[in-house]
Amino acid sequence: MRRRALRALTPAVAVSLAVGVAACGGGGNKSSTSGSSNVTQGKKGGTLQVLAGNDFEHIDPGQAYYQFDYMMQFVTQRPLYNWKPNTKTVPDPDLAAGPPQISNGGKTVTVKIKKGVKFSPPVNREVTSKDVKYAIERAATPEVANGYVGVYFGDVIGWSDFPKKSKDITGITTPDNSTIVFKLTRPTAATVAQALSLPASAPVPEEYAKKYDQKNPSTYGQHMVFTGPYMMTSYQPGKRAVLKRNPNWDPKTDWRPAYLDQIVFSMGNDTTVASRQILSGQNGVSGDFGAPAPIVKQASTSKKDQITFTPSSGNRYVSLNTTIKPLDNINVRKAIIAVTDRNALRLTRGGPSVGDIATHFIPPGMPGFEEAGGMAGSGYDFLKNPNGDLALAQSYMKKGGFPSGKYTGNQKLLMVGDNEDPGAKTAQVMQTQLQKLGFKLNFRQVPHDTMYSKFCNVPKAKVAICPNVGWLKDFNDAQTMMDPTFNGTAIVPVNNSNWPQLNDPKINAAMKKAELLTNADARAKAWGQIDNMVMADAPAVPWLWDKQANIRAAGVNGVINQFNASWDLAYTSLKNP
Amino acid sequence: MGTYIIRRLLWVIVLLFLVSLLTFIIFYLFPSADPAALRAGRQPNPALVEQIRQSLGLDKPWYVQYGRYMKNLILHFDLGTSYQNNISVKEQIFQRLPATISLTVGAVVVWVVAGVSVGILSAVKRRTWLDRTAMTGALIGISAPVYWLGLVALYLFANDIGKIKIFSGANSYVPLSQDPAKWFSSLILPWLVLAASFAAFYARLLRANLLETMSEDYIRTARAKGLGERRVIMRHGVRSAMTPVVTALGLDIGILLGGAILTESVFNIPGVGRLAYDAITRSDLPMIQGTVLFGAFFIVMANLVVDIAYAFLDPRVRYS
Repeated sequence: MRRRALRALTPAVAVSLAVGVAACGGGGNKSSTSGSSNVTQGKKGGTLQVLAGNDFEHIDPGQAYYQFDYMMQFVTQRPLYNWKPNTKTVPDPDLAAGPPQISNGGKTVTVKIKKGVKFSPPVNREVTSKDVKYAIERAATPEVANGYVGVYFGDVIGWSDFPKKSKDITGITTPDNSTIVFKLTRPTAATVAQALSLPASAPVPEEYAKKYDQKNPSTYGQHMVFTGPYMMTSYQPGKRAVLKRNPNWDPKTDWRPAYLDQIVFSMGNDTTVASRQILSGQNGVSGDFGAPAPIVKQASTSKKDQITFTPSSGNRYVSLNTTIKPLDNINVRKAIIAVTDRNALRLTRGGPSVGDIATHFIPPGMPGFEEAGGMAGSGYDFLKNPNGDLALAQSYMKKGGFPSGKYTGNQKLLMVGDNEDPGAKTAQVMQTQLQKLGFKLNFRQVPHDTMYSKFCNVPKAKVAICPNVGWLKDFNDAQTMMDPTFNGTAIVPVNNSNWPQLNDPKINAAMKKAELLTNADARAKAWGQIDNMVMADAPAVPWLWDKQANIRAAGVNGVINQFNASWDLAYTSLKNP
Repeated sequence: MGTYIIRRLLWVIVLLFLVSLLTFIIFYLFPSADPAALRAGRQPNPALVEQIRQSLGLDKPWYVQYGRYMKNLILHFDLGTSYQNNISVKEQIFQRLPATISLTVGAVVVWVVAGVSVGILSAVKRRTWLDRTAMTGALIGISAPVYWLGLVALYLFANDIGKIKIFSGANSYVPLSQDPAKWFSSLILPWLVLAASFAAFYARLLRANLLETMSEDYIRTARAKGLGERRVIMRHGVRSAMTPVVTALGLDIGILLGGAILTESVFNIPGVGRLAYDAITRSDLPMIQGTVLFGAFFIVMANLVVDIAYAFLDPRVRYS
């Protein structure tokens, strides 16, 4: 399921994260989520089938930025830091030999690289710090066009000069083959440190990749080399990808057990058919889809040990454009939130097992969640009844200038939603909620990409309601959930993520202040309060803190990666390989 | 005939040019999504989106973009690169063509055999229980949506999730060159599903035409001359009744070679149809353009083949 990604953390985040990162000692095994196996010893061997509805978005580590892409990247590439199955707050060293060293008042990050990590054939040589520098630099070029490096690494000295004015990023230096140093213009070291867990820091050999990177767009993705336990031996776009063991991978340098001999990704499946195949088969797991609602229902009753529900650390909501009449009236927005049957919305995705009804925006488990009121929220009356409260909604409509309790204007509100289930069903349910208050809608259902790139992400398109939006973390910090989505300064003409176009000066100021806090508790409190302030403005209908429903065959010993909320293929094994 | 064929081939070129222009106008001038924003991926800054727009030439006037596209197409047979995976459009289409051809040819054999047999039987045994049963079955076959029929077939007969485990299920397709036996078994259910509605349509079409033909004077003459009934039907009746069937067959083959989207989707057969569907859902404009052009090529060529076949089937038809 597509989600929107994060944005930059700011200096203060960095410090608290730096503490976490520095304290990270390589993580022990903890018990995993309900329904999945613990991280225990598995049997070596066998072939796992990963069934997916669609292709990877990108296989090039310089471009990968999607949950399904990460499933493959986690086992084929070794960025400086990475996420063990039970770690979702602070990443563990992967290519790095230890935690990042932050100095110079938060303006320098130094990382030591492990020795003995080699590239797969045909490169075959040992990885050096220069390969990491090249990997990050190539991600900044338009030929690779990575979506997040500019946001997270934008404070590196020389970043804005590359590639037009400078042939490299001067702020990234490699004093020796096993050291890489990032020098920053601002004290955002911990932001950079966390960003080093994203695939763009996975090493790329310049002498091999440059010829592919000079093409526009880069064709390195078709000729990649790997550092992880597996390598991609074949890739047929939209059809199939096969991972086999990387002969140059040294398990002594890695914490991944890599039990499987082979992993086969099969793409283009009908998700209902694929779900049935997984549940009745012996060696399959779900890839890029959460199990469809009927399958969730069936598996939850008759195959409980084959389905897991993992918090995705994200939210889903219906955005209300605060710049379009009559939604520019706060009482009208409160009325819409009050009338919305959020349980009905949740049913479209499978019911209570797929997540908790949201009462604000920071998801469970994230700092700031409890401070924002936890599951109950901060007690606003328009969010009290998850089944909707028509009487309350009508009272808000009256306050909003509609004495009959219903909208009586002539304006048709443009609502643009997904045309594929379950998003399509969610949008249709939302339509009926709005009609209870007399709203007339111009309701369009379009492909997912179109919904975002042509409508909801484009303020000029003047979409009043986007019923299928949501946000997902990159790191475990509430700023990454609230800042890009509700900060008035984050509104941009293209690829805008502040869908309600909320521009409340008090909230903007509070965010600016909270960005600079360094103490973790203070940050959690501040961002929790901001969540409440945003909710008080009623810019959206939060309806789900969702859990990803992942399914596996009976013969699979599945291990969930908590960070990615998907199967961790480096730890998953077959019961009888 | 030779002149006719050459003239028609020239028209093929003109038609394909018009199709490419129309497709370009639809998808480039009225895109369903912003290609640069999609290419930039998630959460890019506006400057990056603009950079990509320039690097892909999307900032140029539409006629410059079209000219560039046509120049690459005519001079290098280059259909561009997919925005989705940066791989050549031509390469991906040709990789998937064998699967689509496998699906189409097999289904054609099934539906021609079934449709023609049922159509002849129904016409010959008009108004009997055989005729009524066959036509009712044909009505169901035409009415049932292919996707639904495919799912039902899987849930009933697939050897992994079906109730009666006979046939290979979804996602089991392998190329003919890799394993002929598996290739054949993986396509039985898709062939039957795809052929169902066509066979039904052809049966009804042939039945109607044959009934009309069998009432012609020359059929009465053939009988009067003492020819056996089977010969009268097959040699004289069916031959004339087949001409509209041949027309439909040619067009249907042409359309399917452009991709049987629904059947490929439900059975996860990696053909051109599925490629086109994925391209549309992801607003992969070069891929959409490429698959549309391919589809148009097959339809136009199929038209030409059918028209030529007419001249052999029907001696009254002569081209100059």
